[in-house]
Amino acid sequence: MKESLLDILRCPLDKHELELEDAEYGDDGEEVVGGDLVCTECGERYPVDDGIPNLLPPDMREETPA
Amino acid sequence: MDLSDRRDVETEVYQPAEDSQLLAATTCERLNENDDESDADPPLVLEVGTGSGYVARRVDEETTARVIASDLNPHAVRQAREEGLETVRADLVSPFADEAFDAVLFNPPYLPTNPENEWDDWMERALSGGEDGRAVIDPFLENVGRVLAPDGVVYLLVSSLTGVDEVVERAGEEGFSAAAVADESFPFETLTVLELFR
Repeated sequence: MKESLLDILRCPLDKHELELEDAEYGDDGEEVVGGDLVCTECGERYPVDDGIPNLLPPDMREETPA
Repeated sequence: MDLSDRRDVETEVYQPAEDSQLLAATTCERLNENDDESDADPPLVLEVGTGSGYVARRVDEETTARVIASDLNPHAVRQAREEGLETVRADLVSPFADEAFDAVLFNPPYLPTNPENEWDDWMERALSGGEDGRAVIDPFLENVGRVLAPDGVVYLLVSSLTGVDEVVERAGEEGFSAAAVADESFPFETLTVLELFR
C-alpha cells in the first residue's frame, strides 16, 4: 500500500484515524509491505499483509469459509 | 437460472462476466463525461467487492481517476493487487473516511438463493444475495452515503433477478435518487447500472 492511502483509511470500528507502526517497506522504498495500522482512539491494530492492509473488524478477521 | 449454473471451476475469486463488463464500460463513460478539466485533483473512486479487479483496472486505465479496490475475500485482494491496483481488505465501506470518494462502484452478490442451497465458500459469498438477493445490497446502501463526497455518486449493478424497483426504493429510503444509466438483456435476466445521487 502507498502511505498516502492512510489519508482515507479509518478504523472500521470507530472511524478514527490510523497510524502506521513497525512499517516495512518494499524494494522501491515507498510501498508499505508490512506493519500495523493502529487506531489513534481505541488502539485496535490492523495488519498490513503482503502490502495489503487488512481493515476487517477483529471479529471478521479470522473468518474463512470452509 | 440458479447459483449452480453460474458456478465455474473457479472457486475462490469471481471472474469477470457480462455484469462486470457493463459496470466497467458504463462507469468509464460516465466518469469521462463528467471529467471537469478545471478540477485540480483527479476523482477518487472506490470499487467495493472488486473480485478479480477487472472493473477497477478498467477504470484505472480508461479514466483519470485514482482507484481503490476493496474486497472481503483475501484471494480477491491478492489477485487485484497483482493487477497493480491499490487494494484494501474491507467489509463494504467500513474502513474508509467520511466524504472520501467521488464515486463508489459495486457489482454486488445479487442472486436470490435458497438457504438450503448455499455452499459456504468464497464463490458463494461472491454470488449469493440471500433469499431476496439483497442481503449485501441493503447494508451497502445504508452505509455508502457516509463515504461519498457531497457531489459523489454510486454506480450499482442490479439484476432483474434481484428487482430493480426494490433496490431503487431502498436507495430512496437512504436519501438517494436513482437513474438507470445502462441496461442489457440476457435470456434469464436484464442487467441495469443504477447511478445513485443526492
